[in-house]
Amino acid sequence: MAVFMDLNLMFSADRTRISKLLETAAHLGFSTVAINYTFEPTSLLPLQEIPVPKPINELIDQLPVVQGRSRPIRVLNRLTVVVSDPSHYRPNAPEYRRFDLLAVQPTSEKLFHAACMLYDIDIICISVTEKLPFFFKRAPINGAIDRGVVFEVSYSAAIRDSTMRRYTIANAASLTDSCKGKNVILSSAAEKALELRGPYDITNLGLLFGLSDGDAKEAVSSTCRAALLHAETRKTASGIVIRDSDKNATSTCAGDTPAAKRVKTT
Amino acid sequence: MKAINKEETFHRVVLKNASPHHYMKVHLELEDNSNRLSAVELKHFIITGLKNLHGEVGAALNFDVLKYDEGSLTALLRVHSSGLVKLWSSLTLLGSYQNQSCAFRVLQVSPFLLALTGNSRELQLH
Repeated sequence: MAVFMDLNLMFSADRTRISKLLETAAHLGFSTVAINYTFEPTSLLPLQEIPVPKPINELIDQLPVVQGRSRPIRVLNRLTVVVSDPSHYRPNAPEYRRFDLLAVQPTSEKLFHAACMLYDIDIICISVTEKLPFFFKRAPINGAIDRGVVFEVSYSAAIRDSTMRRYTIANAASLTDSCKGKNVILSSAAEKALELRGPYDITNLGLLFGLSDGDAKEAVSSTCRAALLHAETRKTASGIVIRDSDKNATSTCAGDTPAAKRVKTT
Repeated sequence: MKAINKEETFHRVVLKNASPHHYMKVHLELEDNSNRLSAVELKHFIITGLKNLHGEVGAALNFDVLKYDEGSLTALLRVHSSGLVKLWSSLTLLGSYQNQSCAFRVLQVSPFLLALTGNSRELQLH
């Protein structure tokens, strides 16, 4: 069985907060977490700085051991770009290579369609703080599922506020209707340690969102793992991952360093 | 004297809907650890949570607080198996108690009360 993962822990500059978050996540049983840096470009400032992820040893001294296992928790970096305009997402920007996972939160129907079919990303975030301005259509969602992109629903807004609760459940239910429960991940967007919930609690929440029993458990475990593997293959140019028996190595086209993706100029 | 049959065949017993109730061991984690609730306050708090999420029908769900340890804020709840998802989801989404953040940590869930006596997660091997 795949291990439990929570791929959305909000980054904050406060070091004690992050270390408390990581300790609580390890205590609850999550083997892998991803620290989420949100980037919201506005059209006023054309070239805003994409945040640089902080190295993990700056955030916490020693990674806590996951309860029930002997290994410490694995912490990854993730970037979420909130796109409200097609120019906001720059494909193959070099800053994206510093992050392990790439996510996009579309705010309009066209951008959602583009994100599902074209953008080179791993996760599409479904907004939970507002009523969805567009309806989901089967065609782009099936296209995204074929490509391996997962849809993410965050649940910590539902814990904070009752109006958000309604939006979360409504948006999640309409998503599961359109995608038939495949390629959905559930994660907290937790800023405090008290907003995290255990993996089986989230599995139960998935039932509330319309997922079946098996799909709900997969949403916390194997679908998250699929998103991570998709991210690893996305980083390499040829799209395959080869594990050496002596050491872990990703595949290379030719030469020593992995070939970086470049925008087609022809 | 009847000869005892030495061949023991493998016997598998499958119980479907074996227990009408589900039992949950929960721990309430508060932001301010010195705050204490009585058993009545705890039950009222959970009923408020059920009402917020599932409405009047949810608040009418019958559940019992079988055991409550006020010092450690750990409670043993019992609910009909049909109401487990509702109760569990309202415990998960319960976020604040008297304007301070809180979290319900569900430690164990089982259809059999006996299973709640041992918790392998809290096993210390050293």
